Amino acid sequence: MKRLLLLIVALALLPLVVKDQGALYFMTLIMVWCLFALGYDLVFGVTGLLSFGHAAFFGLGSYVFAFIVIKNAALFPLAVIAAGLAGGLLALLVAAIALRLSGIYFSLMTLAIAELLFFVASSPLRRLTGGEDGLTGVPRPNFFGIDFYQEANFYLLVLAFLALGLLAARALRRSPFGQALNGVRVNEIRADQVGFDVRRLKLAAFAVSGVFSGVAGALLGSLMQFVNPQGLHWSTSGDVVIMSLLGGVGTLFGPIIGVVVFETLKELISSRTVHWYGILGLIFILSTMYMPRGIIGALDAAGARLRTKKS
Amino acid sequence: MSVVLIGLSIGMLLFLLAAGLTLVFGLLGVVNFAHGSMYMLGAYVAFQFVAWTGNFWLALLLAPLVVGLFGGLLERLTLRPLYGRDPAYQLLLTFGYILVIEEFIRMVWGVNFKALNAPAALAGTTEIFGSTVTDYRLFIIAFGALLSVALFYVIERTRIGIVVRAASVNSAMVSCLGIDVGKVRTGVFIAGTALAAISGVVAAPLLPLKLGMSFTIIIDCFIVVVIGGLGNIRGAILGAMLIGMTRAVGQQFAADWIFLLTYGLLIVTLIFRPEGLFNVKGRQA
Repeated sequence: MKRLLLLIVALALLPLVVKDQGALYFMTLIMVWCLFALGYDLVFGVTGLLSFGHAAFFGLGSYVFAFIVIKNAALFPLAVIAAGLAGGLLALLVAAIALRLSGIYFSLMTLAIAELLFFVASSPLRRLTGGEDGLTGVPRPNFFGIDFYQEANFYLLVLAFLALGLLAARALRRSPFGQALNGVRVNEIRADQVGFDVRRLKLAAFAVSGVFSGVAGALLGSLMQFVNPQGLHWSTSGDVVIMSLLGGVGTLFGPIIGVVVFETLKELISSRTVHWYGILGLIFILSTMYMPRGIIGALDAAGARLRTKKS
Repeated sequence: MSVVLIGLSIGMLLFLLAAGLTLVFGLLGVVNFAHGSMYMLGAYVAFQFVAWTGNFWLALLLAPLVVGLFGGLLERLTLRPLYGRDPAYQLLLTFGYILVIEEFIRMVWGVNFKALNAPAALAGTTEIFGSTVTDYRLFIIAFGALLSVALFYVIERTRIGIVVRAASVNSAMVSCLGIDVGKVRTGVFIAGTALAAISGVVAAPLLPLKLGMSFTIIIDCFIVVVIGGLGNIRGAILGAMLIGMTRAVGQQFAADWIFLLTYGLLIVTLIFRPEGLFNVKGRQA
Protein backbone atom coordinates (compact mmCIF):
# COMPACT_ATOMS: atom_id res chain seq x y z
CA MET A 1 0.00 0.00 0.00
CA LYS A 2 2.82 2.38 0.87
CA ARG A 3 4.55 1.73 -2.43
CA LEU A 4 1.29 2.25 -4.28
CA LEU A 5 0.48 5.60 -2.63
CA LEU A 6 4.06 6.74 -3.13
CA LEU A 7 3.78 5.96 -6.83
CA ILE A 8 0.52 7.87 -7.18
CA VAL A 9 1.86 10.92 -5.33
CA ALA A 10 5.06 10.89 -7.40
CA LEU A 11 3.05 10.71 -10.60
CA ALA A 12 0.81 13.55 -9.44
CA LEU A 13 3.82 15.78 -8.80
CA LEU A 14 5.39 15.03 -12.18
CA PRO A 15 3.65 17.83 -14.15
CA LEU A 16 5.34 20.34 -11.83
CA VAL A 17 8.68 19.26 -13.29
CA VAL A 18 7.74 18.14 -16.78
CA LYS A 19 6.38 21.03 -18.83
CA ASP A 20 6.78 19.58 -22.30
CA GLN A 21 3.33 18.97 -23.87
CA GLY A 22 4.57 16.04 -25.94
CA ALA A 23 6.11 14.31 -22.94
CA LEU A 24 2.93 14.81 -20.89
CA TYR A 25 0.85 13.40 -23.73
CA PHE A 26 3.13 10.38 -23.91
CA MET A 27 2.92 9.79 -20.15
CA THR A 28 -0.87 10.09 -20.28
CA LEU A 29 -0.89 7.50 -23.05
CA ILE A 30 1.17 5.18 -20.87
CA MET A 31 -1.27 5.60 -17.99
CA VAL A 32 -4.24 4.78 -20.22
CA TRP A 33 -2.50 1.57 -21.30
CA CYS A 34 -1.66 0.84 -17.67
CA LEU A 35 -5.35 0.91 -16.85
CA PHE A 36 -6.03 -1.46 -19.74
CA ALA A 37 -3.21 -3.82 -18.72
CA LEU A 38 -4.39 -3.72 -15.11
CA GLY A 39 -7.79 -4.95 -16.22
CA TYR A 40 -6.29 -7.51 -18.58
CA ASP A 41 -4.19 -9.02 -15.84
CA LEU A 42 -7.30 -9.79 -13.80
CA VAL A 43 -8.19 -12.30 -16.50
CA PHE A 44 -4.74 -13.48 -17.63
CA GLY A 45 -2.59 -13.11 -14.53
CA VAL A 46 -5.09 -13.75 -11.75
CA THR A 47 -7.60 -16.16 -13.28
CA GLY A 48 -5.17 -17.76 -15.75
CA LEU A 49 -7.32 -17.31 -18.87
CA LEU A 50 -5.35 -16.30 -21.96
CA SER A 51 -7.67 -13.88 -23.75
CA PHE A 52 -6.67 -12.70 -27.21
CA GLY A 53 -9.78 -10.60 -27.61
CA HIS A 54 -9.46 -7.76 -25.15
CA ALA A 55 -9.27 -5.30 -28.02
CA ALA A 56 -13.02 -5.82 -28.39
CA PHE A 57 -13.81 -4.36 -24.97
CA PHE A 58 -11.22 -1.61 -25.34
CA GLY A 59 -12.43 -0.64 -28.82
CA LEU A 60 -16.11 -0.82 -27.96
CA GLY A 61 -15.43 1.47 -24.99
CA SER A 62 -13.83 4.00 -27.32
CA TYR A 63 -16.76 3.98 -29.71
CA VAL A 64 -19.49 4.16 -27.07
CA PHE A 65 -17.64 7.02 -25.43
CA ALA A 66 -17.17 8.83 -28.74
CA PHE A 67 -20.82 8.48 -29.77
CA ILE A 68 -21.92 10.22 -26.57
CA VAL A 69 -19.34 13.00 -26.21
CA ILE A 70 -19.40 13.99 -29.87
CA LYS A 71 -23.03 14.96 -29.30
CA ASN A 72 -22.32 16.77 -26.04
CA ALA A 73 -18.90 17.18 -24.43
CA ALA A 74 -20.47 17.89 -21.05
CA LEU A 75 -21.63 14.29 -20.83
CA PHE A 76 -18.05 13.08 -20.25
CA PRO A 77 -18.71 11.37 -16.88
CA LEU A 78 -21.77 9.61 -18.25
CA ALA A 79 -19.87 8.59 -21.38
CA VAL A 80 -17.03 7.05 -19.37
CA ILE A 81 -19.52 5.09 -17.26
CA ALA A 82 -21.34 3.95 -20.40
CA ALA A 83 -18.04 2.88 -21.98
CA GLY A 84 -17.15 0.87 -18.88
CA LEU A 85 -20.57 -0.77 -18.79
CA ALA A 86 -20.44 -1.57 -22.51
CA GLY A 87 -16.97 -3.10 -22.11
CA GLY A 88 -18.12 -5.13 -19.13
CA LEU A 89 -21.28 -6.40 -20.80
CA LEU A 90 -19.47 -7.34 -24.01
CA ALA A 91 -16.81 -9.12 -21.97
CA LEU A 92 -19.54 -11.07 -20.21
CA LEU A 93 -21.07 -12.06 -23.54
CA VAL A 94 -17.72 -13.01 -25.12
CA ALA A 95 -16.78 -15.04 -22.07
CA ALA A 96 -20.16 -16.77 -22.04
CA ILE A 97 -19.52 -17.97 -25.60
CA ALA A 98 -15.78 -18.62 -25.35
CA LEU A 99 -15.97 -20.43 -22.01
CA ARG A 100 -17.71 -23.29 -23.75
CA LEU A 101 -14.17 -24.13 -24.75
CA SER A 102 -11.06 -24.46 -22.71
CA GLY A 103 -7.35 -23.91 -23.12
CA ILE A 104 -6.17 -22.96 -26.57
CA TYR A 105 -9.65 -23.14 -28.13
CA PHE A 106 -10.77 -20.54 -25.64
CA SER A 107 -8.00 -18.14 -26.68
CA LEU A 108 -8.80 -18.63 -30.36
CA MET A 109 -12.47 -18.01 -29.74
CA THR A 110 -11.84 -14.70 -27.98
CA LEU A 111 -9.60 -13.71 -30.88
CA ALA A 112 -12.22 -14.66 -33.45
CA ILE A 113 -14.99 -12.68 -31.77
CA ALA A 114 -12.80 -9.59 -31.46
CA GLU A 115 -11.81 -9.82 -35.13
CA LEU A 116 -15.46 -10.15 -36.05
CA LEU A 117 -16.15 -6.86 -34.29
CA PHE A 118 -13.20 -5.27 -36.04
CA PHE A 119 -14.61 -6.20 -39.43
CA VAL A 120 -18.12 -5.17 -38.52
CA ALA A 121 -16.88 -1.77 -37.35
CA SER A 122 -14.66 -1.24 -40.37
CA SER A 123 -17.06 -2.20 -43.09
CA PRO A 124 -20.76 -3.04 -42.64
CA LEU A 125 -21.24 -0.41 -39.94
CA ARG A 126 -19.01 2.18 -41.55
CA ARG A 127 -21.76 4.81 -41.62
CA LEU A 128 -21.97 4.70 -37.83
CA THR A 129 -18.28 4.22 -37.05
CA GLY A 130 -16.68 6.17 -39.87
CA GLY A 131 -15.14 2.93 -41.19
CA GLU A 132 -11.36 2.81 -41.48
CA ASP A 133 -11.08 6.58 -41.11
CA GLY A 134 -12.75 6.53 -37.72
CA LEU A 135 -14.49 9.36 -35.92
CA THR A 136 -12.72 12.66 -35.53
CA GLY A 137 -13.57 15.54 -33.24
CA VAL A 138 -13.86 13.49 -30.06
CA PRO A 139 -13.66 16.23 -27.43
CA ARG A 140 -11.77 16.35 -24.18
CA PRO A 141 -14.00 16.73 -21.09
CA ASN A 142 -15.41 20.05 -20.12
CA PHE A 143 -16.25 20.78 -16.49
CA PHE A 144 -15.47 23.13 -13.56
CA GLY A 145 -14.02 25.52 -16.12
CA ILE A 146 -10.81 23.48 -16.33
CA ASP A 147 -9.08 23.48 -19.69
CA PHE A 148 -8.48 19.80 -20.40
CA TYR A 149 -6.84 20.62 -23.71
CA GLN A 150 -3.88 21.54 -21.51
CA GLU A 151 -2.02 18.21 -21.38
CA ALA A 152 -1.10 18.66 -17.70
CA ASN A 153 -4.75 18.90 -16.67
CA PHE A 154 -5.82 15.91 -18.74
CA TYR A 155 -2.80 14.02 -17.37
CA LEU A 156 -4.05 14.57 -13.82
CA LEU A 157 -7.56 13.47 -14.76
CA VAL A 158 -6.26 10.22 -16.27
CA LEU A 159 -4.02 9.77 -13.25
CA ALA A 160 -7.10 9.98 -11.05
CA PHE A 161 -8.67 7.16 -13.06
CA LEU A 162 -5.48 5.11 -12.89
CA ALA A 163 -5.18 5.65 -9.13
CA LEU A 164 -8.76 4.54 -8.70
CA GLY A 165 -8.09 1.53 -10.92
CA LEU A 166 -4.95 0.59 -9.01
CA LEU A 167 -6.68 0.79 -5.65
CA ALA A 168 -9.66 -1.17 -6.96
CA ALA A 169 -7.46 -3.84 -8.53
CA ARG A 170 -5.46 -4.16 -5.34
CA ALA A 171 -8.57 -4.48 -3.20
CA LEU A 172 -10.06 -6.96 -5.66
CA ARG A 173 -6.98 -9.17 -5.62
CA ARG A 174 -7.03 -9.32 -1.84
CA SER A 175 -10.76 -9.86 -1.53
CA PRO A 176 -12.22 -13.37 -1.14
CA PHE A 177 -13.35 -13.01 -4.77
CA GLY A 178 -9.78 -12.35 -5.92
CA GLN A 179 -8.49 -15.24 -3.87
CA ALA A 180 -11.09 -17.53 -5.43
CA LEU A 181 -9.96 -16.41 -8.90
CA ASN A 182 -6.41 -17.22 -7.89
CA GLY A 183 -7.60 -20.63 -6.86
CA VAL A 184 -9.17 -21.17 -10.26
CA ARG A 185 -5.84 -20.44 -11.93
CA VAL A 186 -3.76 -22.62 -9.65
CA ASN A 187 -6.07 -25.63 -9.70
CA GLU A 188 -9.39 -25.40 -11.40
CA ILE A 189 -10.56 -28.89 -10.49
CA ARG A 190 -9.79 -28.36 -6.84
CA ALA A 191 -11.53 -24.97 -6.84
CA ASP A 192 -14.57 -26.70 -8.29
CA GLN A 193 -14.42 -29.52 -5.76
CA VAL A 194 -14.18 -27.08 -2.86
CA GLY A 195 -17.53 -25.75 -4.01
CA PHE A 196 -16.74 -22.66 -6.05
CA ASP A 197 -18.81 -22.05 -9.15
CA VAL A 198 -15.80 -21.84 -11.46
CA ARG A 199 -17.72 -20.77 -14.55
CA ARG A 200 -19.36 -17.93 -12.69
CA LEU A 201 -16.03 -16.79 -11.25
CA LYS A 202 -14.50 -16.70 -14.72
CA LEU A 203 -17.47 -14.77 -16.09
CA ALA A 204 -17.18 -12.27 -13.25
CA ALA A 205 -13.44 -11.85 -13.83
CA PHE A 206 -14.12 -11.12 -17.49
CA ALA A 207 -16.84 -8.62 -16.70
CA VAL A 208 -14.66 -6.66 -14.28
CA SER A 209 -11.77 -6.80 -16.69
CA GLY A 210 -14.07 -5.57 -19.46
CA VAL A 211 -15.07 -2.55 -17.38
CA PHE A 212 -11.39 -1.59 -16.94
CA SER A 213 -10.80 -2.07 -20.67
CA GLY A 214 -13.87 -0.06 -21.69
CA VAL A 215 -12.89 2.87 -19.47
CA ALA A 216 -9.32 2.74 -20.79
CA GLY A 217 -10.68 2.78 -24.35
CA ALA A 218 -12.80 5.82 -23.55
CA LEU A 219 -9.84 7.69 -22.07
CA LEU A 220 -7.73 6.86 -25.12
CA GLY A 221 -10.41 8.28 -27.40
CA SER A 222 -10.50 11.48 -25.39
CA LEU A 223 -6.71 11.70 -25.26
CA MET A 224 -6.19 11.25 -28.99
CA GLN A 225 -9.39 13.16 -29.79
CA PHE A 226 -10.33 10.54 -32.29
CA VAL A 227 -11.42 6.91 -32.48
CA ASN A 228 -10.76 4.33 -35.19
CA PRO A 229 -11.07 0.55 -35.64
CA GLN A 230 -7.39 0.13 -34.71
CA GLY A 231 -8.56 -0.10 -31.10
CA LEU A 232 -10.51 -3.24 -32.05
CA HIS A 233 -7.70 -4.73 -34.11
CA TRP A 234 -6.00 -7.95 -33.02
CA SER A 235 -2.70 -6.12 -32.59
CA THR A 236 -4.25 -4.18 -29.71
CA SER A 237 -5.01 -7.48 -27.98
CA GLY A 238 -1.53 -8.66 -28.88
CA ASP A 239 0.07 -5.54 -27.44
CA VAL A 240 -1.61 -5.92 -24.09
CA VAL A 241 -0.58 -9.59 -23.92
CA ILE A 242 3.02 -8.67 -24.72
CA MET A 243 3.03 -5.88 -22.15
CA SER A 244 1.66 -8.09 -19.39
CA LEU A 245 4.07 -10.90 -20.12
CA LEU A 246 7.03 -8.57 -20.45
CA GLY A 247 6.37 -6.98 -17.08
CA GLY A 248 5.30 -10.12 -15.26
CA VAL A 249 1.79 -11.50 -15.07
CA GLY A 250 -0.19 -11.98 -11.91
CA THR A 251 1.32 -9.07 -10.01
CA LEU A 252 -0.09 -5.61 -9.51
CA PHE A 253 3.02 -3.77 -10.70
CA GLY A 254 4.14 -6.26 -13.36
CA PRO A 255 1.80 -5.15 -16.14
CA ILE A 256 2.54 -1.51 -15.31
CA ILE A 257 6.27 -2.05 -15.64
CA GLY A 258 5.50 -3.93 -18.85
CA VAL A 259 3.52 -1.02 -20.30
CA VAL A 260 6.21 1.50 -19.40
CA VAL A 261 9.01 -0.62 -20.87
CA PHE A 262 6.98 -1.51 -23.97
CA GLU A 263 5.90 2.03 -24.78
CA THR A 264 9.34 3.48 -24.03
CA LEU A 265 11.05 0.84 -26.17
CA LYS A 266 8.54 1.51 -28.93
CA GLU A 267 9.23 5.22 -28.70
CA LEU A 268 13.01 4.76 -28.67
CA ILE A 269 13.23 2.10 -31.36
CA SER A 270 10.63 3.58 -33.67
CA SER A 271 12.41 6.93 -33.73
CA ARG A 272 15.55 5.17 -35.02
CA THR A 273 14.20 2.45 -37.29
CA VAL A 274 10.89 1.59 -38.95
CA HIS A 275 11.44 -2.05 -38.06
CA TRP A 276 10.51 -1.63 -34.43
CA TYR A 277 7.69 -4.18 -34.50
CA GLY A 278 10.07 -6.92 -35.62
CA ILE A 279 12.57 -6.01 -32.93
CA LEU A 280 9.74 -6.03 -30.43
CA GLY A 281 8.81 -9.51 -31.67
CA LEU A 282 12.38 -10.70 -31.06
CA ILE A 283 12.42 -9.21 -27.57
CA PHE A 284 9.09 -10.89 -26.94
CA ILE A 285 10.30 -14.29 -28.17
CA LEU A 286 13.41 -14.09 -26.02
CA SER A 287 11.50 -13.01 -22.94
CA THR A 288 8.97 -15.83 -23.44
CA MET A 289 11.85 -18.28 -23.51
CA TYR A 290 14.13 -16.91 -20.85
CA MET A 291 11.97 -14.65 -18.66
CA PRO A 292 8.69 -16.52 -18.25
CA ARG A 293 7.82 -14.46 -15.20
CA GLY A 294 8.68 -11.17 -16.84
CA ILE A 295 10.81 -8.31 -15.60
CA ILE A 296 9.34 -8.52 -12.11
CA GLY A 297 10.10 -12.24 -11.94
CA ALA A 298 13.66 -11.71 -13.15
CA LEU A 299 14.19 -8.92 -10.62
CA ASP A 300 12.82 -11.11 -7.83
CA ALA A 301 15.12 -13.96 -8.81
CA ALA A 302 18.11 -11.64 -8.95
CA GLY A 303 17.17 -10.21 -5.55
CA ALA A 304 16.87 -13.68 -4.07
CA ARG A 305 20.31 -14.63 -5.40
CA LEU A 306 21.84 -11.51 -3.89
CA ARG A 307 20.29 -12.24 -0.50
CA THR A 308 21.53 -15.84 -0.43
CA LYS A 309 25.02 -14.66 -1.35
CA LYS A 310 25.06 -12.23 1.56
CA SER A 311 23.94 -14.75 4.15
CA MET B 1 -21.62 -24.04 -61.19
CA SER B 2 -18.57 -21.81 -61.23
CA VAL B 3 -19.41 -20.86 -57.64
CA VAL B 4 -19.13 -24.51 -56.64
CA LEU B 5 -15.77 -24.87 -58.39
CA ILE B 6 -14.45 -21.67 -56.85
CA GLY B 7 -15.66 -22.86 -53.46
CA LEU B 8 -13.93 -26.19 -54.00
CA SER B 9 -10.64 -24.51 -54.89
CA ILE B 10 -10.78 -22.24 -51.82
CA GLY B 11 -11.66 -25.28 -49.75
CA MET B 12 -8.66 -27.21 -51.06
CA LEU B 13 -6.30 -24.37 -50.18
CA LEU B 14 -7.82 -24.09 -46.73
CA PHE B 15 -7.55 -27.82 -46.25
CA LEU B 16 -3.83 -27.94 -47.05
CA LEU B 17 -3.30 -25.14 -44.58
CA ALA B 18 -5.56 -26.59 -41.90
CA ALA B 19 -4.04 -30.06 -42.29
CA GLY B 20 -0.64 -28.63 -41.40
CA LEU B 21 -2.01 -26.83 -38.37
CA THR B 22 -4.00 -29.79 -37.12
CA LEU B 23 -1.14 -32.24 -37.70
CA VAL B 24 1.20 -30.12 -35.61
CA PHE B 25 -1.42 -29.70 -32.93
CA GLY B 26 -2.14 -33.43 -32.81
CA LEU B 27 1.47 -34.34 -32.14
CA LEU B 28 2.99 -31.32 -30.44
CA GLY B 29 -0.07 -29.94 -28.68
CA VAL B 30 0.95 -26.54 -30.02
CA VAL B 31 -1.38 -24.25 -31.90
CA ASN B 32 0.98 -22.50 -34.27
CA PHE B 33 -0.16 -18.90 -34.38
CA ALA B 34 2.48 -18.22 -37.01
CA HIS B 35 1.01 -20.81 -39.36
CA GLY B 36 -0.56 -18.07 -41.49
CA SER B 37 2.81 -16.31 -41.58
CA MET B 38 4.35 -19.48 -43.02
CA TYR B 39 1.65 -19.38 -45.70
CA MET B 40 2.54 -15.77 -46.45
CA LEU B 41 6.26 -16.53 -46.39
CA GLY B 42 5.68 -19.40 -48.84
CA ALA B 43 3.92 -17.06 -51.25
CA TYR B 44 6.67 -14.42 -51.07
CA VAL B 45 9.54 -16.91 -51.40
CA ALA B 46 7.79 -18.39 -54.42
CA PHE B 47 7.44 -14.89 -55.85
CA GLN B 48 11.20 -14.49 -55.47
CA PHE B 49 11.99 -17.82 -57.13
CA VAL B 50 9.70 -16.95 -60.04
CA ALA B 51 11.37 -13.55 -60.34
CA TRP B 52 14.76 -15.29 -60.56
CA THR B 53 13.96 -18.30 -62.71
CA GLY B 54 10.59 -17.55 -64.27
CA ASN B 55 9.53 -21.09 -63.46
CA PHE B 56 6.41 -21.48 -61.30
CA TRP B 57 6.81 -25.24 -60.88
CA LEU B 58 10.33 -24.87 -59.54
CA ALA B 59 9.01 -22.31 -57.08
CA LEU B 60 6.23 -24.68 -56.02
CA LEU B 61 8.89 -27.27 -55.25
CA LEU B 62 11.53 -25.07 -53.61
CA ALA B 63 9.55 -22.50 -51.60
CA PRO B 64 7.88 -25.11 -49.33
CA LEU B 65 11.27 -26.73 -48.80
CA VAL B 66 12.86 -23.45 -47.72
CA VAL B 67 9.95 -22.49 -45.47
CA GLY B 68 9.73 -26.02 -44.06
CA LEU B 69 13.39 -25.98 -43.08
CA PHE B 70 12.92 -22.59 -41.46
CA GLY B 71 10.03 -24.11 -39.51
CA GLY B 72 12.24 -27.00 -38.46
CA LEU B 73 14.88 -24.63 -37.12
CA LEU B 74 12.22 -22.66 -35.28
CA GLU B 75 10.89 -25.80 -33.62
CA ARG B 76 14.29 -27.23 -32.75
CA LEU B 77 15.77 -24.03 -31.33
CA THR B 78 12.91 -22.17 -29.69
CA LEU B 79 9.84 -24.36 -29.31
CA ARG B 80 11.53 -27.47 -27.96
CA PRO B 81 12.74 -25.83 -24.73
CA LEU B 82 9.13 -24.86 -23.94
CA TYR B 83 7.40 -28.25 -24.19
CA GLY B 84 7.27 -28.77 -20.45
CA ARG B 85 5.58 -25.44 -19.81
CA ASP B 86 2.02 -24.16 -19.88
CA PRO B 87 0.74 -24.33 -23.50
CA ALA B 88 0.04 -20.60 -23.30
CA TYR B 89 3.78 -19.94 -23.62
CA GLN B 90 4.01 -21.90 -26.87
CA LEU B 91 1.09 -19.93 -28.26
CA LEU B 92 2.79 -16.71 -27.20
CA LEU B 93 6.10 -17.75 -28.71
CA THR B 94 4.52 -18.37 -32.10
CA PHE B 95 2.74 -15.03 -31.73
CA GLY B 96 6.18 -13.43 -31.49
CA TYR B 97 7.09 -15.09 -34.79
CA ILE B 98 4.13 -13.42 -36.50
CA LEU B 99 5.71 -10.05 -35.75
CA VAL B 100 9.19 -11.15 -36.79
CA ILE B 101 8.12 -12.77 -40.08
CA GLU B 102 5.89 -9.80 -40.93
CA GLU B 103 8.86 -7.49 -40.37
CA PHE B 104 11.18 -9.74 -42.36
CA ILE B 105 8.83 -9.59 -45.34
CA ARG B 106 8.50 -5.83 -45.03
CA MET B 107 12.31 -5.48 -45.02
CA VAL B 108 12.92 -7.78 -47.98
CA TRP B 109 9.94 -7.17 -50.23
CA GLY B 110 8.55 -3.86 -48.98
CA VAL B 111 4.97 -2.83 -48.38
CA ASN B 112 3.82 -2.62 -52.00
CA PHE B 113 1.54 -5.32 -53.36
CA LYS B 114 3.26 -8.02 -55.39
CA ALA B 115 1.69 -10.20 -58.03
CA LEU B 116 2.61 -13.73 -59.00
CA ASN B 117 1.16 -14.90 -62.32
CA ALA B 118 -0.23 -18.36 -62.88
CA PRO B 119 1.99 -20.45 -65.19
CA ALA B 120 1.31 -19.79 -68.86
CA ALA B 121 0.11 -23.35 -69.43
CA LEU B 122 -2.79 -22.73 -67.04
CA ALA B 123 -3.67 -19.20 -68.08
CA GLY B 124 -6.62 -20.28 -70.23
CA THR B 125 -10.19 -21.09 -69.30
CA THR B 126 -12.29 -24.20 -69.68
CA GLU B 127 -16.00 -24.66 -70.16
CA ILE B 128 -17.54 -27.07 -67.68
CA PHE B 129 -21.27 -27.72 -67.23
CA GLY B 130 -22.05 -24.56 -69.15
CA SER B 131 -19.88 -22.19 -67.10
CA THR B 132 -16.38 -20.89 -67.64
CA VAL B 133 -13.63 -21.36 -65.08
CA THR B 134 -9.93 -20.62 -65.27
CA ASP B 135 -7.69 -23.63 -65.76
CA TYR B 136 -5.74 -22.54 -62.72
CA ARG B 137 -8.79 -23.11 -60.48
CA LEU B 138 -9.13 -26.61 -61.88
CA PHE B 139 -5.43 -27.20 -61.27
CA ILE B 140 -5.85 -26.16 -57.62
CA ILE B 141 -8.70 -28.61 -57.15
CA ALA B 142 -6.81 -31.50 -58.77
CA PHE B 143 -3.53 -30.68 -57.03
CA GLY B 144 -5.23 -30.32 -53.65
CA ALA B 145 -7.10 -33.58 -54.08
CA LEU B 146 -3.92 -35.41 -55.06
CA LEU B 147 -1.97 -34.00 -52.14
CA SER B 148 -4.79 -34.84 -49.71
CA VAL B 149 -4.85 -38.45 -50.88
CA ALA B 150 -1.07 -38.65 -50.53
CA LEU B 151 -1.30 -37.15 -47.06
CA PHE B 152 -3.92 -39.67 -45.96
CA TYR B 153 -1.92 -42.51 -47.44
CA VAL B 154 1.19 -41.48 -45.51
CA ILE B 155 -0.67 -41.03 -42.24
CA GLU B 156 -2.81 -44.15 -42.43
CA ARG B 157 -0.79 -46.67 -44.41
CA THR B 158 2.92 -46.11 -43.82
CA ARG B 159 5.33 -46.74 -40.99
CA ILE B 160 6.00 -43.01 -40.63
CA GLY B 161 2.28 -42.44 -40.29
CA ILE B 162 1.88 -45.03 -37.59
CA VAL B 163 4.74 -43.53 -35.58
CA VAL B 164 3.21 -40.07 -35.86
CA ARG B 165 -0.23 -41.31 -34.83
CA ALA B 166 1.17 -43.34 -31.95
CA ALA B 167 3.26 -40.42 -30.72
CA SER B 168 0.16 -38.17 -30.79
CA VAL B 169 -1.61 -40.57 -28.46
CA ASN B 170 1.24 -41.41 -26.12
CA SER B 171 4.65 -39.95 -26.83
CA ALA B 172 6.25 -41.39 -23.68
CA MET B 173 5.37 -44.93 -24.76
CA VAL B 174 6.66 -44.36 -28.27
CA SER B 175 9.88 -43.04 -26.89
CA CYS B 176 10.19 -46.19 -24.70
CA LEU B 177 9.93 -48.24 -27.88
CA GLY B 178 13.18 -46.69 -29.03
CA ILE B 179 11.92 -43.94 -31.28
CA ASP B 180 13.39 -40.46 -31.00
CA VAL B 181 10.18 -38.49 -30.44
CA GLY B 182 12.07 -35.20 -30.61
CA LYS B 183 13.01 -35.97 -34.22
CA VAL B 184 9.44 -37.00 -35.04
CA ARG B 185 8.20 -33.69 -33.65
CA THR B 186 10.69 -31.68 -35.68
CA GLY B 187 9.75 -33.69 -38.76
CA VAL B 188 6.05 -33.11 -38.29
CA PHE B 189 6.63 -29.42 -37.70
CA ILE B 190 8.63 -29.24 -40.96
CA ALA B 191 5.82 -31.05 -42.78
CA GLY B 192 3.19 -28.77 -41.24
CA THR B 193 4.97 -25.55 -42.18
CA ALA B 194 5.72 -26.93 -45.66
CA LEU B 195 2.01 -27.62 -46.14
CA ALA B 196 1.25 -24.02 -45.15
CA ALA B 197 3.86 -22.82 -47.62
CA ILE B 198 2.48 -25.03 -50.41
CA SER B 199 -0.93 -23.55 -49.78
CA GLY B 200 0.62 -20.08 -49.93
CA VAL B 201 2.39 -20.75 -53.23
CA VAL B 202 -0.70 -22.22 -54.85
CA ALA B 203 -2.90 -19.38 -53.59
CA ALA B 204 -0.43 -16.68 -54.68
CA PRO B 205 -1.64 -16.29 -58.31
CA LEU B 206 -5.20 -15.75 -57.06
CA LEU B 207 -4.55 -12.73 -54.88
CA PRO B 208 -2.20 -9.80 -54.42
CA LEU B 209 0.68 -10.60 -52.08
CA LYS B 210 0.58 -8.16 -49.22
CA LEU B 211 1.43 -7.83 -45.58
CA GLY B 212 -1.44 -8.87 -43.40
CA MET B 213 -2.54 -11.70 -45.69
CA SER B 214 -1.24 -14.02 -43.00
CA PHE B 215 -3.77 -12.88 -40.50
CA THR B 216 -6.81 -13.06 -42.72
CA ILE B 217 -5.94 -16.62 -43.59
CA ILE B 218 -5.01 -17.80 -40.11
CA ILE B 219 -8.41 -16.85 -38.78
CA ASP B 220 -10.10 -18.81 -41.59
CA CYS B 221 -7.77 -21.69 -40.88
CA PHE B 222 -8.65 -21.64 -37.18
CA ILE B 223 -12.32 -21.62 -38.07
CA VAL B 224 -11.86 -24.64 -40.32
CA VAL B 225 -9.91 -26.52 -37.71
CA VAL B 226 -12.31 -25.75 -34.88
CA ILE B 227 -15.35 -26.64 -36.99
CA GLY B 228 -13.69 -29.92 -37.96
CA GLY B 229 -12.41 -30.64 -34.47
CA LEU B 230 -8.82 -29.70 -33.56
CA GLY B 231 -6.39 -32.52 -34.35
CA ASN B 232 -8.91 -34.22 -36.62
CA ILE B 233 -7.76 -34.30 -40.24
CA ARG B 234 -10.95 -35.84 -41.64
CA GLY B 235 -12.96 -33.10 -39.96
CA ALA B 236 -10.60 -30.51 -41.42
CA ILE B 237 -11.55 -31.61 -44.97
CA LEU B 238 -15.24 -31.09 -44.34
CA GLY B 239 -14.63 -27.87 -42.41
CA ALA B 240 -12.47 -26.54 -45.24
CA MET B 241 -15.09 -27.34 -47.88
CA LEU B 242 -17.83 -25.75 -45.77
CA ILE B 243 -15.86 -22.53 -45.32
CA GLY B 244 -14.67 -22.59 -48.94
CA MET B 245 -18.25 -22.80 -50.20
CA THR B 246 -19.43 -20.13 -47.78
CA ARG B 247 -16.69 -17.82 -49.03
CA ALA B 248 -17.46 -18.46 -52.69
CA VAL B 249 -21.20 -17.97 -52.27
CA GLY B 250 -20.65 -14.95 -50.03
CA GLN B 251 -18.31 -13.31 -52.54
CA GLN B 252 -21.01 -13.64 -55.16
CA PHE B 253 -23.95 -12.35 -53.19
CA ALA B 254 -22.93 -10.49 -50.03
CA ALA B 255 -19.29 -9.45 -50.04
CA ASP B 256 -19.64 -7.14 -47.03
CA TRP B 257 -21.04 -9.92 -44.90
CA ILE B 258 -18.61 -12.77 -45.67
CA PHE B 259 -16.89 -12.33 -42.36
CA LEU B 260 -20.14 -12.46 -40.49
CA LEU B 261 -21.09 -15.63 -42.37
CA THR B 262 -17.88 -17.51 -41.64
CA TYR B 263 -17.65 -16.28 -38.06
CA GLY B 264 -21.31 -17.04 -37.59
CA LEU B 265 -20.60 -20.63 -38.64
CA LEU B 266 -17.81 -20.79 -36.10
CA ILE B 267 -19.82 -19.35 -33.24
CA VAL B 268 -22.84 -21.54 -33.96
CA THR B 269 -20.58 -24.61 -34.08
CA LEU B 270 -18.96 -23.70 -30.81
CA ILE B 271 -22.28 -23.19 -29.12
CA PHE B 272 -23.86 -26.43 -30.25
CA ARG B 273 -20.89 -28.74 -30.89
CA PRO B 274 -17.85 -27.34 -29.06
CA GLU B 275 -15.85 -30.49 -29.84
CA GLY B 276 -16.26 -29.85 -33.59
CA LEU B 277 -19.00 -30.78 -36.03
CA PHE B 278 -17.31 -33.90 -37.28
CA ASN B 279 -15.51 -35.19 -34.26
CA VAL B 280 -16.46 -38.83 -33.91
CA LYS B 281 -14.94 -40.58 -30.92
CA GLY B 282 -12.24 -43.10 -31.80
CA ARG B 283 -12.08 -42.02 -35.42
CA GLN B 284 -9.46 -39.32 -35.23
CA ALA B 285 -6.79 -39.39 -37.87
